[in-house]
Order: sequence, then C-alpha cells, then structure tokens
Amino acid sequence: MSVYKLNYRAYTGKVTPMWARILVLVRYGYAEAWSSKITVGIAILSLLPCIVFLFGIYISNNPMARLMLGNQSPRGLTIDAEFFLIVLQIESWFALVMTAWVAPRLITFDLADNALPILLSHPISRFGYVFGKFISLFVILSMTTWIPGLMLFAYQGYSSPLPWALANLRIAVGLWAGAVIWTAFLSILGLALSSWVKWRAVATGIIFAAVFVPAGVGAIVSAVLRTRWGFLLNIPFMMSVLWQRLLGAPEFAKQKISLPTTAIAIMLMLICLICVAMLNARIRAREVVRG
Amino acid sequence: MTPQTTASFREQLAQQPWGLWWLQGRRLTSIEVRRNLFSWKASWIYFLAFIPTFIILIHLVADKHLQYMLSEDTNILAGIVQFYYIRLGVFFGCLGIFSRLIRGEMIERSLHFYLLAPVRREILLLSKFVAGSISALLLFGTAITLDFSLMYAGFGAAGRDYIFNGPGLGQFEAYLAIIVLACLGYGAVFLLLSMMFRNPTPAAMLVLGWEAINPILPSLLQKISVASYLRHLMPVSVAANGIFALLTVQTEPVSAWAAVLGLLLLIAAVLLYSCYRIRTLEIRYTTE
Repeated sequence: MSVYKLNYRAYTGKVTPMWARILVLVRYGYAEAWSSKITVGIAILSLLPCIVFLFGIYISNNPMARLMLGNQSPRGLTIDAEFFLIVLQIESWFALVMTAWVAPRLITFDLADNALPILLSHPISRFGYVFGKFISLFVILSMTTWIPGLMLFAYQGYSSPLPWALANLRIAVGLWAGAVIWTAFLSILGLALSSWVKWRAVATGIIFAAVFVPAGVGAIVSAVLRTRWGFLLNIPFMMSVLWQRLLGAPEFAKQKISLPTTAIAIMLMLICLICVAMLNARIRAREVVRG
Repeated sequence: MTPQTTASFREQLAQQPWGLWWLQGRRLTSIEVRRNLFSWKASWIYFLAFIPTFIILIHLVADKHLQYMLSEDTNILAGIVQFYYIRLGVFFGCLGIFSRLIRGEMIERSLHFYLLAPVRREILLLSKFVAGSISALLLFGTAITLDFSLMYAGFGAAGRDYIFNGPGLGQFEAYLAIIVLACLGYGAVFLLLSMMFRNPTPAAMLVLGWEAINPILPSLLQKISVASYLRHLMPVSVAANGIFALLTVQTEPVSAWAAVLGLLLLIAAVLLYSCYRIRTLEIRYTTE
C-alpha cells in the first residue's frame, strides 16, 4: 500500500498515567549512572567505612572481643550520637564525590547532544524531566548516606543487650533527616550546575568547586570582616552544625562561631531556590545558537 | 661522553630551526593568552582570583584600622594565601585554565587543526603551558598585589612603615614567589592530567587529597607534591585548628632555595613527561 493511502487516527489504547512517565526517566537515568565502572567503584568505596563502623559496633557490644583486644572497660568504644555523626559526615563526603560523578552524566549528555528538545517533545513536562533526574540521583545518593547509616543503627539496636534502639530513636530520626536534607541538597545542586555546563569534565570540577570555594570565601569573610556570618557560605560547616543538632551530639563549634539553625535553614533554602531558577532557565525545549 | 660526541651534539643543536620555533611558540602563546583572558568563559577565574580582594576592599572601607590589628591582619593575609589561594583559588583556577588547553580543544574538536599544522608537538605543548602560566600569573599575581596593598592601606603611616621599613616587603616578595611557583606547579600537573584522562577532574581531586595528607606521608613521597614545597616558603606561620592544622605541618625544615629548586625540578620532570606523552597523543573524536 502506498504511503499516501494510509489513514492516521489517534491512539485510543491505555495511556500511561502522568506520574508513571517520570519513572521512565528515573529508570534510564539510573541505568546511565550505573553504566560507568567508576560509579560502581565509588559505591564500593563508600561502603568500606561502613564495614569499619560495623566492626566497631561489634567490638563495643561483645565483651569477649573487647577482652581479646585488651580493652576491659565497657566505655571503651561508646556507640552514641557522636559515633553516628562521624558515620554521617564520612558517608556525606562520599555522596559529594558520587554527585560530582553522576549528576553530569544524567543531564550534561542531554544538553551536549541537543537531545533536550526531543525529550521534551514527548508527553512529559519540564518539571517531570527534572524530577525524574532528581529521583535517580536521590536514590543513588541514598545508597551511600541514610540507608547504610540506618542499617548500622539497626545492627547496634540488635546487638546491644540494653533496649538501646528505643532509647536512642532520636539518633535514627536525626540521621535520616540530616542525610535526606544533604542528599536532596546535593541532588538539586548537582543537576543545576550540570545543566549550565556543556562539558562533563568541567561539570564534575564545578560541583566540587561549588562546595569548596564558597567555604574558603566564607572563611575569608569571617576572618577579614570579623563576623561569624561568613560561615553561612561554608556548606560543609553549616551541614555539620545542622547534623550535630539533629542527632543531639555535643556542640563542636565554639559559641562565637556557632550559627543559628534558622539561618542555616534559610541559607539552604536560598541555595535551593537559586538552583531551581538555574534549572528553570536552562531546561527548555530550545537551543540558543550563537553566531 | 667524548669531545667528538659533545661537538657533534653542539653542532646538531646549532642546526635546529630555533628562530622558527620561537616564532611559532610566540604566535601560539599569544592566541592562547587571548582565549584564556578575554573570553566570557574565563570570567569565573577572575572571580576566583579577585574575590578576596573584594572582601579586603570592604574591610578597608567599612572597618576601623587600629594599631594592634596590624599583626592580626598580617596573619589573616598569610592564612588567605596559604589556605585560600594555594589550596582553592590557584588550584581550581589552574585546573580550569590548564585542563582546557589540551582536553578542552579535544572536546571542542579543534585540536587536530594544531596537530595538522607543521609545528612540533613539543612546541605546541610548551607554548600552551607558557600561555596558561602567563594567564594564571597575571590574574593571581595582580590579585595578591592588590590584596597586600589594600590590607595595609587602611593603617596609613604605620602600614607604610611596616611595608618599607619592616618585614612587609619581604613577605610580599615571598607571597608573589609562592603564587608564581603554585601556578607553574599546578599548571604542569593539570596539563599532564588533561592529556592522560578524558575527565581530569577526579584525578585532580585525588591530587587535592594527596596534597592535604602529604605532611603525614614518608619523606620521599612528600617530594611529589606542590604545596609541600610552598609550605616552606611561607613568611608567616599560621596557627590552624582541627583538621586544617594538617595543612600547615612542617615535618622537616627545608631551606627556601632547596624548596624552590625542588619544585622547579618537579615542574621540569612533569613537563618532560608531558612532552613525551604528546608525541604519541592520538585523538579519536568518536570516543571523546
């Protein structure tokens, strides 16, 4: 049959619900991220400290093992909020490394290959596109942050002879909340920065620079202008203060440089809003060609 | 080596087209310097270099400069050089400038134009290195000069006295030398990394980590580091707390000339290896 004799009619079959379409992007984003051996390498590396922590919990709860190691005191290795704060801090650095590697893979390829107009010509919104990528990254980062953290908490609850877990539920909630805030923050920051850079290599560098350079600038502001507010530019410091308060760990920052929780929350929200504005400006179904 | 071999080596050297190489090098350098300094893509390097200058300017305009604050400001300036410029500003600035010289051209698919031209690859690499160094030195050298001037300008006569009759001028010279060596050292390392890896940033982050843990490494390994040499040249020792104290540890005292010579040797070794690498450099744009 010749092509001109064909008649076309609208598809009348079952349509995928709007929310489920996002999952297609999540699935492909997830597959894209794990297609790199380096992603697997970083994920394995991020689990190595967990093995050390697991061993620490075992030693702490096993009197025989403590005796064999020459430590008879039951207070030798205390599993408390401070211990889980260290767990969270170390895992969060791995999450940053993972973001710097994975986020550009999720979004930069679409921009560099001019695939965005094609993707957005499908029945999916710009919000859906970004949300799908966000979920992919969030899930991957969760595997290095709150999931191993909560597993360590569960193991401590299981191996402790005391009703430890119920008495220290605040640690689990704080650990989960702190890790989720960091994971969501990194996801949106990674996507926003990657969307503005066409080259993956540069995007990876900029994600690191966006965390480290403002921290340095914040330290200069604090030192030169003799104010503590410069630390609001120091994301690792800000997050450490927030985590320590969420977990109920002892305050590590001196009173004169400590930041109010409200200021930290406002600063984090402000950065997220800037990231959303950056994504809104960049994720569009058109390309500007400079002549 | 016999006198005959030496004579023939000299003769060979004399027969090389040095004039042509010089001309090609100059042209390539000027093209790259223009691209590094006068394109909108370079604006973030200006930010990295001059953001402390801007903060010090606010301090100059807004804050009072009392006599007792002079030594405090001297320590803060030393901290800015040691912690910000060496560890962050120059590091990320050089990563951006020098990675772009080879890898950036590969990503833009324009390096083959250079490789097809009748220019020796070593000349191409060294010209690009010189261009990157000039750009970095101009930016960070100017920034450190402005930082130093603005920091002491607020103290008036006391500040001038500190600079011209006190230790100020010596400190300024030391800071300039540190910035020059940092730019050259990181530049050489990142130029090599950009040839070795498709994405040089993970390797650069490993370099950043290596530089941080360098003071606790064995003496021999400490020599393969840029910042460890620069630490010995710091005119003012900064007291750091917590984990940052690691960055200021001096495990064994090294004289200034030995530190400079050591770093220059390291740069020369990295550049020599880069020259060797570029001779066998192949581009497959399909895999880039």
